Amino acid sequence: MDVELMAQLLRRAGFGTTRDQIDKYLQQGYEATVEELLNPVHREPEDQDLMDRYFVASVEARSPGHADPQWAWRLATNPNPLEEKIALFWHGLMAVGGVKLDHGLEMLTEIELFRRFGLGRFEDLLLEISRNPGMMYWLDNQNSHSGAPNENYGRELLELFSMGIDENGEGAYSEDDVKAAARAFTGWASEVTPPPFFLGPFPMVFRFNPDDHDDSEKTFLGQTGNWNGDDIVRIISEQRATARFVAMRLYDYFVSDTPNDEEIERLSDVFEENDGEIRAVLRAIFNSDHFKSEDVRYRKMKSPSDLVFGTVRLVDRFDLPELDSGTLANNTLFMGQHLLNPPSVEGWHEGEEWVDSGALIERINFASAEVSRTDGRGVQRMLARVRDAGDELDGAEFVEACLDAMGSIDVSPRTRSILIDHANGHGTPWETDASDSTDRAVEMFQLIVSTPDYQYC
Amino acid sequence: MPLEKFPYHDTIGIASFLGRGFMNPVDVRFDSTGLMFVLSRSNASNKNVRVSAVTLDAEFQYEFATWGTDPGKTTQPTALAFDSQDRLYVSDEHMHNVSVFDREGNFIERWGEFGSQPGQFNRPSGLAVDSDDNVLVMDHLNARIQKMTPDGRYISSFGSAGGGPGEFNFAWGIFVDSGGDIWAADWRNDRIQRFTADGEFVSMFGSSGTGDGEFDRPSGVHVDERGRVYVADWRNDRVQVFDNDGGHVETLVGDATLSKWCQEFIDVNPEQAGWRENAGLFEQEKRFWRPSAIETNSDGLVLIADACRHRIQIYSKVNEPTLV
Repeated sequence: MDVELMAQLLRRAGFGTTRDQIDKYLQQGYEATVEELLNPVHREPEDQDLMDRYFVASVEARSPGHADPQWAWRLATNPNPLEEKIALFWHGLMAVGGVKLDHGLEMLTEIELFRRFGLGRFEDLLLEISRNPGMMYWLDNQNSHSGAPNENYGRELLELFSMGIDENGEGAYSEDDVKAAARAFTGWASEVTPPPFFLGPFPMVFRFNPDDHDDSEKTFLGQTGNWNGDDIVRIISEQRATARFVAMRLYDYFVSDTPNDEEIERLSDVFEENDGEIRAVLRAIFNSDHFKSEDVRYRKMKSPSDLVFGTVRLVDRFDLPELDSGTLANNTLFMGQHLLNPPSVEGWHEGEEWVDSGALIERINFASAEVSRTDGRGVQRMLARVRDAGDELDGAEFVEACLDAMGSIDVSPRTRSILIDHANGHGTPWETDASDSTDRAVEMFQLIVSTPDYQYC
Repeated sequence: MPLEKFPYHDTIGIASFLGRGFMNPVDVRFDSTGLMFVLSRSNASNKNVRVSAVTLDAEFQYEFATWGTDPGKTTQPTALAFDSQDRLYVSDEHMHNVSVFDREGNFIERWGEFGSQPGQFNRPSGLAVDSDDNVLVMDHLNARIQKMTPDGRYISSFGSAGGGPGEFNFAWGIFVDSGGDIWAADWRNDRIQRFTADGEFVSMFGSSGTGDGEFDRPSGVHVDERGRVYVADWRNDRVQVFDNDGGHVETLVGDATLSKWCQEFIDVNPEQAGWRENAGLFEQEKRFWRPSAIETNSDGLVLIADACRHRIQIYSKVNEPTLV
C-alpha cells in the first residue's frame, strides 16, 4: 500500500493527519478510506456541550469573532475531516461575509448547512442556501420585491454559485436570465430579528412571502413558466455549464491549482450522470489515476486553514476546548484567511496568492511553534517514531525518519539535501539515548515545517 | 398556581463589553450588604471578563477582576463565592486558581496551581463557602471537591470520576446549605448530588431528559433558607425548583421584561426600537438562554444568571409554604 498516496488523500480530503492515523487507514485500504471519508455519519459532536460550556459566548455568537472558537474546534478535531473540508469549500464558493452579516450565530448555521448538504445533490444544496436567511440578507434579497426586484442574488447565483463566467466575463446565461431569476426570488427573505445590541442576537429565520412574490410568467434559460426560486434552482442544476463550473471548482480545490480540461470534462460527466451528487464527483476524483499520479502531488498551495488545522491535528495537543483553541482562527486571519468573513462574495482565491512574505513568516512561525510543543500527544508520537527508526541514525536516515513521523511528508531533493546537511552539521549521528535527541528531533521538525515544501499539500 | 409561588419580579442587565452591563454572566452573588456581584465570562477574543458590582435598583457601582494573567486579573472565570468577611472568591478555569478580593474589588491574594495533587486544581469551576469560612472548590477535571482554608491551604477532598454515587462527570456548580450539606450540579451526569459536610454521599436526583426532574447539563444548584432546591437546567434553558427531597415543584423558563438599562438604550436609539418592534419577538425575548447560576436573598428574591441574554432575571417567592 502506498503510504504517500494515503497521506495525500488525507491532506486533500482533510487537513493531513498523523502517521499513526495513516497506518490505521492503510489497514482498511485506499478505496475503503475514500468511502469512509465520503460518507460521514452526521450528528451533533459528542463534545458540543463542552464547547458550549467553555465558550459560552459562542453559543449566542453575536459576531464572526464570537463564532470562531466553535468552527475552529471542529476544524481541529472533527474525526470526519471531509465534513469540515467541504464546509470550507462551500463557505468560500457561496461566500457570506461577516463584515456585512455580522451575525456569528447565523454564520455557524450556514457552516452546519454546508456540512449537512455539502456532499449531497448540488440542487439540494443550492436550494438550501437560497433559503438561508443569512444569504438572503447578505445579497439584499430582503429588498427584492414583486414589481421591484433586486438582481443581486439572481446575478451571484448564476455567476458565482452555479454557472460561472469565462475569462471574458461571458456566461452561458444572459442579462434577461438574471432578471428572470431575480423576479423568481422575490418574496424570499429573512425575517426581521431584534437588534443584537442589548440582548445579544436572535436566530435568523427564512420566510417566503407569497404576497411579495412575482408569480407571473418568466423565461429563464429558454424555459417559460410561472417560475419560483426553486424552479430556478432546478433549471440551473440541469445545465451543462453548472456541471462544468462545479467540477472545475472541485478540481481546483481538491486536486491542483493548475486546471486540467480533460479531467474537468470527465468530472462534469460524472456530475450529470449522478444527478449532481457532489459525493460522486469527489469519489471520481479521489479514485482517479490522475489524482493518484505524481503530476498533482504537492501541487496545491495549502490555504491558511490547511496549514493551521493540519499542523494542529499533527501536534494533537488539545484534549478539551481551551483558551488556546479558542484563538486558533486568529492564526488563519494573520495568514490572510479570515474564517467566517471572506473578503467578498467571490470568496477566497486559492493557490499561490495565499502566500506573500508576511504570510509566509506567519506560517513558518506558527507551524514551528506548534511542532515544538513536546506536551502534544502528536509530537510525542512523532518523537517515538523517530526513536523507533533506530538507535543511531546518520543524517539521511534521521531526516527520513522525521519526515515519515510527521505524516509521510515528501520534500524535493534539494530540500532533502539541505536538511541532511543540517543534520550532519552536528558532527555526530542522531542517537536515541543522547541527551540532545529530543532537541535535535524537534529542531528537525521545525526545519521541515519551515521549508517551501510544507506550504504545499 | 405555579406563578403564585415564583412570580417574576425584575430584570437587570444589558449586553455590554465594559462598564454598565454584562457579557455572558455565569454567576451572581450577594455580599453581606445586599450588593449584587455579577461575573461576566465573555469569550477568548473580546476579553470582557469582569466582576460587576450593581445594586438591586440597577445602579452600576464598579467592576474588577478584568482580563489578564497578572494578580487581580482573570481569564476564564467561572464562579463566585463570598465568605462571612465579605471576601470574594473567583475561580479561573484557565489559570487553575482562585483569586480573592475584598468587596470593593481590591485584590487580596490568589492561590492554586495546575495539577492533581491535594491543593492543586484542574479547571476549578463552582465555589461555595461553609459556615467556618472554608472554601469549597469544584475541581472539575480532577472530579473532586476540595475544601480549602480562606488563604488556600488544603484541608480535605472527596469525589472521583464516574457515574456512581459520590462520583462526578464534569461537575460545575456547588452550594453549601444552612445545615452544612454540600450540593453539587453533576453536569455531565445530569443530576444533583447531596453530601454531608464531611463529603459523605447523602442522596441524588435527576436523570437525562427534558421532563420534570430531568436535566440536560445542570450547571448551578442553590438551596434557599426554606430548603427549596433551585437547579439551573443549562441546556434545557430553564430553572427547575424542587423540594428538599428532590420532588419537582416548579419550572421557570424566563419572563424577562426590558431592564432599566435596556429601556434607556431603546429610548435613545429609536432606530433600534423600531427594529425591535418590527421583529416582534417579545415572547422569545423573555426566555432564558443558558441560565447558569442562582442566588437568593432573605427578602425572597431569586436571581438567575441568564448567560446568553446578558442579564439577571429576578423572581420573588410569595405565599410559599415552609417546607421544614
